Amino acid sequence: MGSSSSRLDRVPGAKDLMEETGFSETNILCLYDRFEVLDREERGYLRLEDFEAIQQLAVNPIGDRIIGAFVFPGRETLDFPSFVRVLAHFRPTDTTWSRSGSQPEPANSRTRKLRFAFSLYDQDGDGKISRAELTEMLQAMLGMQVTDEQLQSIVGRAIQEADLDRDGAISFDEFKKSVEKVDIDHKMSTRFLR
Amino acid sequence: LLFYWSLGCWCVLLLLFVSVASAGRDVDSGSNDTGRNPAPEDSHHQTNSTHHKKAFPVLSFNFDHVRKPFEISLWILLALLMKLGFHIIPRVSHVVPESCLLIVVGLLVGGIIKAFDEDAPVQMLDSKFFFLYLLPPIILDAGYFLPMRPFTENLGTILVFAVVGTLWNAFFIGLTMYGVCQIEAVKLGRVDLLSCLLFGSIVSAVDPVAVLAVFEEIHINELLHILVFGESLLNDAVTVVLYHLFTEFSHKGTVTVADAFLGVVSFFVVSLGGILIGAIYGIIGAFTSRFTSHSRVIEPLFVFLYSYMAYLSAEVFHLSGIMSLIACGVVMRPYVEANISHKSYTTIKYFLKMWSSVSETLIFIFLGVSTVAQPHPWNWTFVVVTVVVCFVSRVLGVVSLTYIINKFRIVKLTKKDQFIVAYGGLRGAIAFSLGFLLPDNEMKQLFLTAIITVIFYTVFVQGMTIRPLVELLAVKKKKESKGSINEEIHTQFLDHLLTGIEDICGHYGHHHWKDKLNRFNKAYVKKWLITGERSTEPQLISFYNKMEMKQAMMLVESGSAAKLPTIMTPVSMQNIQPKEPLKRRAIPSISKSREQEIRKMLRGNLQKTRQRLRSYSRHDLMVDPFEEDVSEVRLRKQRVEMERRVSSNSAANKQSQPWISKQQLGKDNNIP
Repeated sequence: MGSSSSRLDRVPGAKDLMEETGFSETNILCLYDRFEVLDREERGYLRLEDFEAIQQLAVNPIGDRIIGAFVFPGRETLDFPSFVRVLAHFRPTDTTWSRSGSQPEPANSRTRKLRFAFSLYDQDGDGKISRAELTEMLQAMLGMQVTDEQLQSIVGRAIQEADLDRDGAISFDEFKKSVEKVDIDHKMSTRFLR
Repeated sequence: LLFYWSLGCWCVLLLLFVSVASAGRDVDSGSNDTGRNPAPEDSHHQTNSTHHKKAFPVLSFNFDHVRKPFEISLWILLALLMKLGFHIIPRVSHVVPESCLLIVVGLLVGGIIKAFDEDAPVQMLDSKFFFLYLLPPIILDAGYFLPMRPFTENLGTILVFAVVGTLWNAFFIGLTMYGVCQIEAVKLGRVDLLSCLLFGSIVSAVDPVAVLAVFEEIHINELLHILVFGESLLNDAVTVVLYHLFTEFSHKGTVTVADAFLGVVSFFVVSLGGILIGAIYGIIGAFTSRFTSHSRVIEPLFVFLYSYMAYLSAEVFHLSGIMSLIACGVVMRPYVEANISHKSYTTIKYFLKMWSSVSETLIFIFLGVSTVAQPHPWNWTFVVVTVVVCFVSRVLGVVSLTYIINKFRIVKLTKKDQFIVAYGGLRGAIAFSLGFLLPDNEMKQLFLTAIITVIFYTVFVQGMTIRPLVELLAVKKKKESKGSINEEIHTQFLDHLLTGIEDICGHYGHHHWKDKLNRFNKAYVKKWLITGERSTEPQLISFYNKMEMKQAMMLVESGSAAKLPTIMTPVSMQNIQPKEPLKRRAIPSISKSREQEIRKMLRGNLQKTRQRLRSYSRHDLMVDPFEEDVSEVRLRKQRVEMERRVSSNSAANKQSQPWISKQQLGKDNNIP
């Protein structure tokens, strides 16, 4: 235990981060190692280029959106605590946490996870997924293999299915409702193994 | 109600007659007549006397000619009538699962036949018949329609339960029974360790047929269903290996370490070999389906035959036939479905369901009948201890394995889940048939009795009580959901998201490998196995097209114009909003031909063409002219609007007026 606590000292603000996000010591250390690997020039923070250097992300259809979610608009750099806070959304849901608490909702609750996903759709941040935003997302996912008409019909149908108050856009609650049958706890969690 | 019971009785009587008739050795054309002979009297007299000059027999009775198929058909008919009949009595069918009722019917029929004729061959559940004809349809149905997503997500858990759990069960039961047999008071000292282990391995396997039959009626949530069901399918490899292992060992008499090691090796060979054979046949089948566009009628047969060949080929080498069958269905399915016509898809679906339903019913009835046929040496201690030990070992196994598995799972298994998994471990006909294949020694009958008792216990007691227990424990039920385009989009989106997150973390998880597999699939495999245009179609598009097709067909069949606006609105909205300048991408040929397909289909159903008399050909699927005439008038109304919609879709920008009002105009005009 002695050696790991000294290792933990390397990580700035580790204790607070652990409490805030619920990650364990090993998780934080693991993430810090990864952070250091990504941060090749050892600046202590990550920039856009570091993310773009990850090869797999370049092939990922929504890679740039994911990067955008990490590096908030208006800021150029990402420090370690912010890195961890974003990844905290993907921790497996705690079954023991109950809603009645005085604590703020943890990052990995179902609602927070959905909000994160929603923010990736809603690029302009107005709280609704407009038709154009959905079209853009679908275009990114489907690539070159689809015509505009098909795209429009799919988008139209999707909006029409989900849009309950008929305002032509999908709000967060409507989004939540349309995925209520999807097991978000499972789909949006990943194991942070040693 | 009266009708069904009278039909059922008639069937039973016919069966009796048949079995009595078959008991007689020389079935002459008249010598076996017991008076229920429907043939008229004079011909009977005529043909009976062979040394008179034979007059030309106007009507003769030759039963032997058709005996075998007649018997088989009668049994199947009886099974199906029983299946129908149960739903007439709603109270009973709600409490008792169908499988129990069928076993009871089998017992009754067996009892009746035996009562009439002691020597009647009532041994119906012949092992060869079971394994070669009754089991494959059920497994193919299960494998072909296996929900891949939950299966792959829980594959680790399922494998642990199937392999480790079955091994634990087999050894625990075997060793405990051996210990019991050693006790002086039981008087079973002759039973040696290997026989007990063999017995343990037979009775430990969870049976897919029984699980399917019972779980289907309780509509439990997807996770639990796939866990128990997946386990029952995958433990076949373990059962096969253990069974052969112990049979060989009991022949040889001594066991060495090398033999045990070979046993482990053979497990891998059996399971992986079975999967490999299945995958090979699956790929061949998918490849064949690429060329069937001109003979649509025989498409379903390819699916069935290739799968059956996979099963038989695996059985030739003593590999796991069940795993081979499942691998074949799973591999074949995505490619075949992209290639075959819609009608063939429906045919495959319904034939598989039909066959598996018949097989399942027959299995349970024969189980009942065969029980009556056996002499049953009854040893209270042995049988009761077996039942108790089976239950105990199952509970222990599940609980301890879950404790270990939960360390690796994202969504943990709760106590309720564990209970259902343990309680759902039903034994069935596979155990019985394997027991039947045992070498004939003094212990065989005792073992069979114990196996039958365990089967009866699990199917009756556990099968009947599982439904109230599920309600009592408030276990999550299956969520009924039709596919929604939103779910599909968001699920794919989340897949990409998680893959990206995993890449950022540098962590090669589930999503990473799935993504790699998808890319490989898209880049290489699809090109080979799917005809032309469809090979580059993204999954979302296929899904969307399927949905649209379904809705178009629903529209045509129901003939209600009320559904139209929902399809119209997207197009209308598209026209109202200002469009940004269209990037003119080269329109790939996919969309055009899909449009043509949908258009052709709608047109074919809506137009009032007087069907020109085509030359009759058995190989063509003809449109039923009667259907056309009847719906003609109703559909004419929609024809105009559908055509407008379809044509507007391809010339999206030409319409300047708001679409909605035009549609309403059209509707008003057509109201008579």
